[in-house]
Amino acid sequence: MVGRVLWIVGVLACVVAVGLFGAGAQEVEDPDAPVDLRFTVWTGADSHLQLLNSIAEDYSQENPNVSVEFATIPFADYVTNVTVQLAGADKPDAGWLVETNAPEFIQAGVARDVRSEAERYDMDDWFEPALELWRDGDRLYGLPFSTSPFLILYNVDLFEEAGVPTPRELSARGEWTWERFAEVSQAIREETGVYGFQTMDGQGFDIRVWHTLIPIMRSYGTDVWDEDNNVTLNTPEAVQAVQLFHDMVFQDESVVPPGDRSDFYVGDAAMTVGQISRVPQLEEADFEWSMAVMPEGPAGRGDVIGQAGVVAYSAGEHGDIAADFVGFMTNKENVARLAEFFPPARKSVLESEEFLAANPDIPAELMREVVADSIQVGRVLTPHVNFSEIDLESRGAFDELWRRDADVQAALDRVAEVIEPLLRQ
Amino acid sequence: MRREIGRKPADGAKLVSPKGSGSPSVTPGRLRVFLRALVSSRVRGRLVWYLVLAVIAIPFFLPFWWMVTSSFKTATEVFADPSFFPSAWRWGNFIDAFRYQPFARHYFNSVYIAVIVTVATVLISSLSGYAYARLRFAGRSLLFVLILSSLMMPSEVTIIPNFFLMSFLGLTNTHWPLILLAVLGAHGALSTFIMRQHFLMIPGELEDAARIDGLGNFGIFLRIAMPIAGAAISAVTILTFLHSWNLFLEPLVFLNELRLFTLPLSLNNFRDAYGVPLWHLQLAATTMSVVPILVVYIMAQQKISSALAFSGLKG
Amino acid sequence: MTQARRNSISGYLFIAPQFVGFLVFVLGPIVAVFVFSLQSRSLLTGESTFIGLQNFRRMFFEDGLFLVTMRNTLVFAGGLVPANMALALGLALALSRGRRGVGFFRTVYFAPVVTSAVAWAIVWRFLLEADRGLVNQYLSVFSITGPNWLREPGWAMLSVIVNRVLKNLGMNMVIFLAAVINVPGEYYEAATLEGANAVQRFRHVTFPHIMPTTMMVLVITLVGSFKVFDTIMLMTQGGPGHATTVLVYYIYFQGFRVFRTGYASALSVVLFVVVFALTLAQWSARKRLSHYET
Repeated sequence: MVGRVLWIVGVLACVVAVGLFGAGAQEVEDPDAPVDLRFTVWTGADSHLQLLNSIAEDYSQENPNVSVEFATIPFADYVTNVTVQLAGADKPDAGWLVETNAPEFIQAGVARDVRSEAERYDMDDWFEPALELWRDGDRLYGLPFSTSPFLILYNVDLFEEAGVPTPRELSARGEWTWERFAEVSQAIREETGVYGFQTMDGQGFDIRVWHTLIPIMRSYGTDVWDEDNNVTLNTPEAVQAVQLFHDMVFQDESVVPPGDRSDFYVGDAAMTVGQISRVPQLEEADFEWSMAVMPEGPAGRGDVIGQAGVVAYSAGEHGDIAADFVGFMTNKENVARLAEFFPPARKSVLESEEFLAANPDIPAELMREVVADSIQVGRVLTPHVNFSEIDLESRGAFDELWRRDADVQAALDRVAEVIEPLLRQ
Repeated sequence: MRREIGRKPADGAKLVSPKGSGSPSVTPGRLRVFLRALVSSRVRGRLVWYLVLAVIAIPFFLPFWWMVTSSFKTATEVFADPSFFPSAWRWGNFIDAFRYQPFARHYFNSVYIAVIVTVATVLISSLSGYAYARLRFAGRSLLFVLILSSLMMPSEVTIIPNFFLMSFLGLTNTHWPLILLAVLGAHGALSTFIMRQHFLMIPGELEDAARIDGLGNFGIFLRIAMPIAGAAISAVTILTFLHSWNLFLEPLVFLNELRLFTLPLSLNNFRDAYGVPLWHLQLAATTMSVVPILVVYIMAQQKISSALAFSGLKG
Repeated sequence: MTQARRNSISGYLFIAPQFVGFLVFVLGPIVAVFVFSLQSRSLLTGESTFIGLQNFRRMFFEDGLFLVTMRNTLVFAGGLVPANMALALGLALALSRGRRGVGFFRTVYFAPVVTSAVAWAIVWRFLLEADRGLVNQYLSVFSITGPNWLREPGWAMLSVIVNRVLKNLGMNMVIFLAAVINVPGEYYEAATLEGANAVQRFRHVTFPHIMPTTMMVLVITLVGSFKVFDTIMLMTQGGPGHATTVLVYYIYFQGFRVFRTGYASALSVVLFVVVFALTLAQWSARKRLSHYET
């Protein structure tokens, strides 16, 4: 009797286990039924969501059976969360995708080809280099909705208080170099007691470490890795660049250090790296602010563009409709509307006067000088098909770099050691 | 609990507040009394006892105090000074926490899931616990050993296959995994074990008498066994409620949509779109999630800790 | 129908809901996790291929991080378990003396147990902030410059251990307290008559009586320390470096961060083996010690 029970239990357990191999339920699409598209984004800003919703409403006007809902996922969890959702039962249909993960998602077949949908909306208008990341042969796996150069946001009041020239003034004089950047940062720290600089969103030592390193490395004539997948973040130029920044943090102590919560947007730091999309955060700022291009290095300007695209997920239930919405969202009219926060990669929009006036908080000449010009010359953040792993697995090694007593060369060598096999995989 | 009844404290002990440290307004008169009290070694022992316990209590007590008072502060004030009171009591934080995300919804989700899980666990595990304890059937001890062997198996071991299972069943991004895995997983096995240990102690004569009165097995379970299982049921109830209330990995893996979040996820989600935490809102929300449970605990603490001790001794 | 037959049918019916659920959500998945551990699976692409024992080879011979993870897991358990047990027992003995204020102290020590680990970790993360955290502000009163607790390897590990000890200490304390109070008073009286001092009374009376409880608490605490996740996730995210990356966090990282669900399953198998071994150890210890049980 006992033997029989054991046997039954064993069989049942195996049946359950075998049942687990099948993944994903099959669903049949009904063309007439109302469709709810779920669209993942990483913004939670009201002004952004209002804009997105108004685009979705326009789409529903044309396609009354379709409604679009925007789901916010915090940036730090975005890729994980989207992937888990796509592997789960309740899959999103379309969403934003950040440039660094684009090659990986495209290679894994997560994004679907949207070329035919995109062709409905004047393909020739796109600024050619901006599409590079989203293309694979004839196929087009997404369309950039934001091609946004990195820039320096600064607190004018603090510069006045410290009596140092502002980044824009230095830039106009042609003196806006990383060395000067370090000097003014230190001067502000000494004169006002406030930090001179905060890394992007205060996350530049961990999840945005690439955003900290790539601009400065590029203007010193190198990058984190090159096109042939060789690590270059420990070359002499790179070490020189990082050493400068490391000294700012740990010798001058003029940069908000790791683990400190001082925030530029509430006045705890005089400068930060931002993008146009950060401007809404300054709405309630009680100080005067302005913006400038990124500083130059020995190799000139190393303009960096943060790019984000819109993709339709191939696992989604309503693939065709999602792809159509992706096309609609990036047509001329909508790209022009998005330009208030997300600089466009469509020539017609980029060259228009409307774009320069798109954001009421930013004067047109600043928009031209800091944003429009940089879009032409900048390059996107250095991509790689293995980016998630490179990013996550190198973080431990980077932690060693962000220590007061760190040997920059040794720490970067260690990072190189960690990421080298991942780059070549 | 028979040693609980304390001896009457000696007079000297009254000088010392339970919080220990000497008060700043020490008058010479008081000091003399204090010193005289010190002479008696018994009192001294007692004093040391209080002092040590009070010092140990600091890291337990202080976080709660800091959390509650800081939740009334502004974002910048939170880190400004280690003040024990906010400069102004900003009730607005509590309202803003609800505005920032559907916090009320999250609260409700946590409560209703915990209630369903608790009720279902008590029902299901007392039924099976009773069967393992009182009913003879073939394979009983073998099946029970199977349950027993997974008693301590962390649900983390099976999180990956369970993710695929739930995805296959179409249950990801719903509350079902949080209910099913809590009721039927390893925690359910633990509850079954606690109930069984309790039902083992029922005298057989009670059942025999009931059977003569014409009660069937289910009748005996419901009318005889359950009414005298209060201690075990309350232990299972408390353990299960806390288990469900505190789940973090499961919601993290199974829930994606904001409106489905439970409290632990919600608390971790007081961050702006770029991932920067909104400290004052996070603290206000944390306070709101912690304080009601603490109040219930303080009101029923004798019952709760003895129920848990009971489960511990039975385990 | 005979009574025995009726009993047996009711028995199966009574255990059915729990047992079927147990098969589907515990036993089946355990079998599955062993199968998955022999596969290369990707959450991102949904592909899976059989690769034999390669995951385990990688784990023990290629993945340096796995060894770091195991070391961290042992350090965490090795720090947490003795501290938790010693303090819990000490406090239980102190509180068993039935003085005024016992209730107050018990309430305070137990309060974190009913607080969610997430809330507890969130509050402590604030308290341990480098420059503006309460802990360092207090240390600076004594002119001590506190470390950047959560961002320096050794201190980060210490911080999560202490956080976890404070969180769960109350539970063990209450269990010990019940066990200590259950020791029959006559034994103490007898021991006192024979001139035994407090230490001797503990060694020869209290300790033998609470031995089975101690064993059980030890195993539960040990298993609990192997499955810590929420505290790590909220306080350090496994960092700095990988200084606080413990086994369950690593399972989550591999499975849901870099999407290697096959490898994560192999790591889960390791956790299974460890916990299963502990369960067996507890059973055999329980059998040997059972003559002490009262």
